[in-house]
Amino acid sequence: MRNWKESWNRFSTVFYPILFGALMITLWQTGILHKILGADTFTLPMPHRIYTIIKENLPVIMQNVQATLIVALGGLFLGSLLGYLLGVVAAIFTKWGKGGLTLASAFNAIPIIAIAPILNNLTKDVSPNANIRSMVAKILVVTITSTVAMSVNAYRGLTEIKPFSMDLMRSYAATERQIFWKLRLPNSLPFIFTALRVSVPGCVISALVSEYFAEYIVGVGRQIRENIVLAQYATAWAYISVACLMGIALYVVLLIFESILLKGRK
Amino acid sequence: MRKGNKGALMLTSLVMALMLVVTAIPATAATYYSKDATVKDVVVDAATQGKVGNWGLGNEYEIQALLSKYGMPTTYLSQAFDMDGFDDDSILLASAMTYNELGLVKNSYQGGYNYGDKVKTIDMNDEGVAMLEDNIFTTDAFAKANPNTVKAFLAASVKGWAYACANPEEAAQIVYKYGSSVSSDHQLYMAGEVKKLVETDTKGNPVTAYGKIDDTAMQQTLDLAKTYIKLTDSVAADKLQTLTLDDIRDSSYFDTATAADATLGTPEKTDVSIQLKWLPQAQFMGYYVALDKGYYKDAGLNVTIVPGGGDISETTAVYTGQVDFGVTWVSNLIAANAGGMGLMEVAQIFQRSGLVLVYKISD
Repeated sequence: MRNWKESWNRFSTVFYPILFGALMITLWQTGILHKILGADTFTLPMPHRIYTIIKENLPVIMQNVQATLIVALGGLFLGSLLGYLLGVVAAIFTKWGKGGLTLASAFNAIPIIAIAPILNNLTKDVSPNANIRSMVAKILVVTITSTVAMSVNAYRGLTEIKPFSMDLMRSYAATERQIFWKLRLPNSLPFIFTALRVSVPGCVISALVSEYFAEYIVGVGRQIRENIVLAQYATAWAYISVACLMGIALYVVLLIFESILLKGRK
Repeated sequence: MRKGNKGALMLTSLVMALMLVVTAIPATAATYYSKDATVKDVVVDAATQGKVGNWGLGNEYEIQALLSKYGMPTTYLSQAFDMDGFDDDSILLASAMTYNELGLVKNSYQGGYNYGDKVKTIDMNDEGVAMLEDNIFTTDAFAKANPNTVKAFLAASVKGWAYACANPEEAAQIVYKYGSSVSSDHQLYMAGEVKKLVETDTKGNPVTAYGKIDDTAMQQTLDLAKTYIKLTDSVAADKLQTLTLDDIRDSSYFDTATAADATLGTPEKTDVSIQLKWLPQAQFMGYYVALDKGYYKDAGLNVTIVPGGGDISETTAVYTGQVDFGVTWVSNLIAANAGGMGLMEVAQIFQRSGLVLVYKISD
């Protein structure tokens, strides 16, 4: 009985969102959604039309997806690495580390649209190649936006140790260094995934927005902007759909990694 | 001192250091162009270096046509809405509107870069790649349902433009009164330059009928649009190639509204609005003058002027009926109609292209 309930739970967490998605697409394709929203088929084209555009322009769309993915994942990697290191520094110097992280969280409050143009100007001399310096600027935007979540969570993972674990380590006369490698680091692993659950969707959004301001014209976000301004809504929606798929795909990859790496944990 | 402060300092400085690493590399000195350099020399050199700038978002077609004319690829750098990129040499050949960015580049007033005559320009009209810009448009359906409103609006707007061009200083003051994103000095400069665009055609000949649709220039605009507007959506791309002048402009309202013996009739709709393409500035002085001098009221209309700015899509605003009229560039209207909007130009206020490419010259 218990087993059945558990498997139903697992099934329903996937089933309900899919059911909801299918319902929305049905409402959309039948035009009922347009009536509810008061929209027309020009500004909100039918799903099959969006699908056709994606299918017909797959090579071009994939080029833009690639550019956006490099920015999102590059920034996510650098930001998470930096964030984790900051967490480690804060955990070693706990006296002021916690206060420091609180202040560093202020970085999270800076809107992407404010830092993107600033970083564009700051990176003008990085490379004579506009594509490269533009890419650097965009990656830095994502780096900044994904640093804090990781540093705060890494700090918690490294410091919120179960008292009995710490007592056990002390009873073994373990050095601080040993405690760090054998206890703190493994303890922080679930917290890394907590941080990534926030910053993975966040990195895609930051990448899309940073492309709006970039010097070199490429990327899914940039295409959304260009096409909306040119009143090409069907194409803009095609890129919006692709952006959604990218976010979902990255999140699924993260969940798969998480289930493998945290197997056997609570 | 709180215990946290030292840590905060260290953490912030770490992030700062990361940002500084990328800015520490010194800028390389750029060489500018000789004042006798030909257009071809400048365009080819800047394009080869990949330092031609434009704002994109539908403003790029004339630049692409010019690049093609000189056998260069049609790629360009995305230019911000200021001229900092031109100032710091990351863009050697920058896009500028004669009435706006060029004034900022040359002049020393607030927001200006004070280059004076140390810069030269390449004019799209002279190069034969001019595309028409600021017009007055509405939807075909609105025009057909409210012909008298359209005629009354055109007659009053044209009167406003005529007064503004005769009195640019007063017009600049009026615009400044209605809200301005730039200084009054720049507004005055802009009024003087906009006057030239309204009163001169692409060939440099004087225009007497303000707002009249010049079919030759419209055809050139449409032809260039068909070559350089690249649409991802194959349905829209195919439709673009089939568009003719009759799909994008209707001169009949203007012609009857401005005829000597014009009888305008009673407007069907009296509360109307016009969506500007950009922030309130002398680029749109004719409408502000018509409003301020009561020309719209005299025509039986209660007009609201809706400023644009940023990524506002004036074509969408008119298409969805949020506003009745709009000011856009003809190329934007063509792209929108290719996408399926039934927009119709009813007057062409700017008779020549105001877009130039500006470059610095060596002393």
